[in-house]
Amino acid sequence: MSRRTWLRATGRAAVPIGAVALVFVVWGVLVRVLDVPRYVVPSPAATLNTLREDWPRLWGLTLTTTKECVIGFVVGAAVGFFLAVAMAQIRTIQRIAYPILIASQAIPIVAIAAPLVLVLGFGLAPKIVIVALIVFFPVVVNTLDGLNSVDRDLLNLARVMDGRALRVFLNIRLPATFTPLFSALKIGATYTVTGAVLGEWTATAGRGLGNYLLEQNARLNTAAVYGAVLLLTAIGIAGFLLISALERLATPWRTRSTARRVVRLRRRDTEGER
Amino acid sequence: MSADPSEGKLVIDGVRHAFDSTPALGTTSLSVRDGEFVSIVGPSGCGKSTLFNIVSGLLVPTEGRVLIEGRDVTGSTGHVGYMLQKDLLVPWRTVEGNIVMGAALTKGVGDADRAEARELADRYGLGEFIDHFPHALSGGMRQRVALMRTLAFHRDVMLLDEPFGALDSQTRFSMQQWLLDVWADLGRTIVFVTHDVDEAIFLAGRVLVMSPRPGRIAATIPVAIARPRSLESLTTPEFVRAKREILGLLYAGGPGTARPREATAP
Repeated sequence: MSRRTWLRATGRAAVPIGAVALVFVVWGVLVRVLDVPRYVVPSPAATLNTLREDWPRLWGLTLTTTKECVIGFVVGAAVGFFLAVAMAQIRTIQRIAYPILIASQAIPIVAIAAPLVLVLGFGLAPKIVIVALIVFFPVVVNTLDGLNSVDRDLLNLARVMDGRALRVFLNIRLPATFTPLFSALKIGATYTVTGAVLGEWTATAGRGLGNYLLEQNARLNTAAVYGAVLLLTAIGIAGFLLISALERLATPWRTRSTARRVVRLRRRDTEGER
Repeated sequence: MSADPSEGKLVIDGVRHAFDSTPALGTTSLSVRDGEFVSIVGPSGCGKSTLFNIVSGLLVPTEGRVLIEGRDVTGSTGHVGYMLQKDLLVPWRTVEGNIVMGAALTKGVGDADRAEARELADRYGLGEFIDHFPHALSGGMRQRVALMRTLAFHRDVMLLDEPFGALDSQTRFSMQQWLLDVWADLGRTIVFVTHDVDEAIFLAGRVLVMSPRPGRIAATIPVAIARPRSLESLTTPEFVRAKREILGLLYAGGPGTARPREATAP
């Protein structure tokens, strides 16, 4: 990385980091000025302190919750994507799946968490299902939108060229889903944490940050509750950033004017020929 | 009018089409010689796009046949190159990737296809843009890529449906000259639909004028302007004579009966 691009990257990162720091500063000032008791709202310093003291335990809990988020996210996104493709290809599937799809979102997740535990036990499974349920809906809707957004004239042109069904799908319809799909994945990535915490509150085996949060809340250890919230937020943000980075890799045409890597390879080729 | 199926690269033999009971294209016959450049002009809704959809195989005509090199290809695709006013480049493929689209959708893209795409781009002035995504190109450049995609599909007969209709007039004129260069280079058989009478005359060896809905070919106007053609061709007596004749046919019913502008959606 050249010095200039490095500076530009730092400059880009500085603003959001500054914004987060500002939130902490305002929080600290308000707590002090209004003289809020520690058990109502702890100061940022108290919160970070608790995080440090309890870190050995929190680290393990964070890993558990992250695992629930990641597996649930992948399952939900994969199911949603393949369901959307199947719905777009076969009308009967669309007719059968659509009402079920809407119903699955109309059911309050909180309400089915407990029955899910009865069916799936207290372990990892119910948490994954809840996270997946939250993630899969935007993925289905956006992927369908992408598949249906392809210009009819382009599909006609593909027919005139005698395009084979699978190749038309892979070269034209599939890439058209990328942009809306990544929008759905970014929304999903931030929602996963809510699903995981909800799952942990209902199914208590395999403890994660959600369980810790409830337990500390019962003890009026508000600083620890805030610490857990910060960690949960960090998981959501990390997921969002990861998906955004993947998006830049998967859809280079949206941010660049050329396919840069290809250019470099080609130059090497032609130099070799000379 | 009837066409002898034994002669002509592309023969449209007594083709007629109706959507349900609404006639869209009256009985039409046409024979285009190998390497010929034919323009079609006509009022809005005269069935030019319907005719193209039939020739390209997207639409099965109610009646009649389409022959290419004497072979009946009615209702079957893959026999002609087709280009529309919309460039229909896919945003996620580079210029090269778009040029090789025909191969990508059929047998798969090989090194030969890529090499050909690069050669086409080099020869026609887009060499340095070969790795650009379409959004980084101007409208004229995008249409050039669309024509290269049509060329790289390797069909002798090419249907161009108002390909320059969305371009500004200067870009359009340079694209017309460029198209004539390409045509002179590669000797394809071109049928070119446009609502622009000047464009129709400037490009073609003969101009077919269609009548209003349901359209038929009302007249054939030969254009005897020497090639290669240039800016000066636009002011020759032959050009003016052909233009007067075509305008007379298009507006024969008085003003308001013929609207030269038409939507191209097939």
